[in-house]
Amino acid sequence: MELMTWFTELLEGNLIFTPQTLSYYWDGLVTTTQLVFLSLLAGLVLAVPLAIGRSSRHRWISLPIYAYTYVFRGTPLLIQLYIIYYGVVFVDGIQESIFWPLLREAFYPALIAFTLNTAAYTTEIFRGAIKATARGEIEAARAYGMSQSLMMRRIILPSAFRRALPAYGNEVIFMLHASAIASVVTLMDLTGAARFVYARFYAPFEAFLFVAAIYLCLTFAILYFFRFLEKRLLAHLKPA
Amino acid sequence: MLDLQGYGPRLIEGAGVTIQLALLSLILAIVLGLLTASAKMSRSWLLHKIATLYTTVIRGVPDLVLMMLLFFGGQMALNVATDALYDRFGVDWYVNLNAFAAGVLTIGFIFGAYMGETFRGAFLAVDEGQIEAGRAYGMSDWLVFRRIRFPLMMRHALPGLSNNWMVLLKTTALVSVIGLSDMVRVAAEASRATHEPFVFLIPVALIYLAIASVSEWIFARLQKRYNVGFGGH
Amino acid sequence: MAATPMPLEARNIKKRFGDTEVLKGLSLQAHKGDVITLIGASGSGKSTFLRCMNLLEQPDEGDLLMHGEEIRFKQTRRGREPADWKQVVRMRAKLSMVFQGFNLWAHMTLLENIIEAPVHVLGKPKKEAIEQAHALLERVGLSARANAYPAQMSGGQQQRGAIARALAMDPEVMLFDEPTSALDPELVGDVLKVMRDLAAEGRTMVVVTHEMSFARDVSSQVIYLHQGLIEEAGPPKDVLTNPSSPRLQQFLAPKY
Repeated sequence: MELMTWFTELLEGNLIFTPQTLSYYWDGLVTTTQLVFLSLLAGLVLAVPLAIGRSSRHRWISLPIYAYTYVFRGTPLLIQLYIIYYGVVFVDGIQESIFWPLLREAFYPALIAFTLNTAAYTTEIFRGAIKATARGEIEAARAYGMSQSLMMRRIILPSAFRRALPAYGNEVIFMLHASAIASVVTLMDLTGAARFVYARFYAPFEAFLFVAAIYLCLTFAILYFFRFLEKRLLAHLKPA
Repeated sequence: MLDLQGYGPRLIEGAGVTIQLALLSLILAIVLGLLTASAKMSRSWLLHKIATLYTTVIRGVPDLVLMMLLFFGGQMALNVATDALYDRFGVDWYVNLNAFAAGVLTIGFIFGAYMGETFRGAFLAVDEGQIEAGRAYGMSDWLVFRRIRFPLMMRHALPGLSNNWMVLLKTTALVSVIGLSDMVRVAAEASRATHEPFVFLIPVALIYLAIASVSEWIFARLQKRYNVGFGGH
Repeated sequence: MAATPMPLEARNIKKRFGDTEVLKGLSLQAHKGDVITLIGASGSGKSTFLRCMNLLEQPDEGDLLMHGEEIRFKQTRRGREPADWKQVVRMRAKLSMVFQGFNLWAHMTLLENIIEAPVHVLGKPKKEAIEQAHALLERVGLSARANAYPAQMSGGQQQRGAIARALAMDPEVMLFDEPTSALDPELVGDVLKVMRDLAAEGRTMVVVTHEMSFARDVSSQVIYLHQGLIEEAGPPKDVLTNPSSPRLQQFLAPKY
């Protein structure tokens, strides 16, 4: 209770961090979390088959996937977001389709752009991990009569996922930070909330330092989560 | 034929802005990175703490937020300072923070933190025995740094440097948000005005890819040069 | 003898890497209970020959037979390849290999390594496979390490674990590719002991090794390879005690 009164007093003596603006930040946090979480999830689902295809010996499978990852990793996410956000209207028949009510909002074009972007990076991360599978372990699998698909499922992917963990943790943080550009296409994410508060009170330091602190906390939370995962899942690589 | 509806010259100008911005930021980032790496490896407790705080905070906050903080906040700080000058000394001096300068400063400042980590790792990877050999032959500290430590370090730093540059290049797109007319901003404006987003945005994407491909080629050549004597290919 | 076809037979195997012909027509017949040792200098082709037997390397010419069933090949753009990979997979499940570098799967515990192929390749019920794995670990003296990961075990333990993994397939023929070469000298003995026990119980084995004492005491046949050809072959007492070829004499001469 004591803490509560202290908190209300703090808010009362403050023109900018009113319950009202704090609720903007809260809504922004929700939007950012949804956007980042959903795009990472969808990107992950796309990246697994793409990484397998990218590692294929057949060039007609691996080359188109390489072209996709090259383009999406070689251009700014902002451009990708603009192309999808401004371009979606011009896809033939899209306005008559059942998806239109969704695509008309900024959230879904942003989600698509973020998903395609993170899928490209994740594909390359997984491909690197797949390529790094110890040759001997693959030989052992073949020598014990495993088929190509069984070997992929039981030997290559499980060890590749573990190896990819540190790099994937960086990708998650990268996506959190990259999601700040959602505010450019009118989305009220965390950065959008900060821009709104800045514009309303003309208080850049308060508005942006506060949001920077939130991002910093989120970054550390992700960092520690992945450290914890690595400790559990990579324990087998450490000598006793 | 591609009809740019009169936006052609502005797009080319915008591409020039992007490239200048990227190169100037890179130089600033390398300088800051070397300073940060030295601070992190120095025996001074304070320098080490400052450098760690710098790299941690920069890498924990989105580029766009830092950019806005420095651009909008920087302008306000300048206003306060110039107002104070006027009140106290009657000097009427108004500085408008230039978006280009703000862009270079922010991007350089952000990537200095990443470069710092790259350089630190590379310096640590250098074989100390070869440094000692240099000292043993009577080379001065500066000579050892210039002729031995730096070239050896570059070999380890180049892959990270190349990676940072690619990310930096793409980060320049964010300056369009704070009002600088780089090629992304021109393309976005043109898209809105003409309702033909693909005509403008796709060529800009291709320019980014072209710059990235050229950079890759340059870095591959540099890598070759610094790998001399390591049996590297 | 002719009633039951041989578990494994290789006929006139040839293999080239680029311009160099590493195997120039090698044959081998493994009858049930045979322990065949392949010896020779490094580069003589002994490991490549062994790897051709379970098609980790594709022979350019020659035939492979298991119990008289011939492996079918076809000619492709990349060279000669097995015509039916299902047949190869079936064959490999009956030949289990022990590698020089152990090649245990690093993300699985020793127990998981052992039950992996029996459960997922042979379709054995998991419970049964685990029971069998514990019995095998007991045999190779690693009961206490069932839940250890490969990185947490010594080389000798890893190799004995790898042998247990090979045994779990109930193989008809076991292939050993220099199983003790990567081990510290003091760890070699434990692994050789396990292999001697296997030979004593009548396992069919083909072993590439540098351990002459093993070749002399345990094998039923010794094959000496030189530059991709069989220079001398026969029972160890002939080949190792009374070598006729000067090259083999030199190879066996004590080195100081």
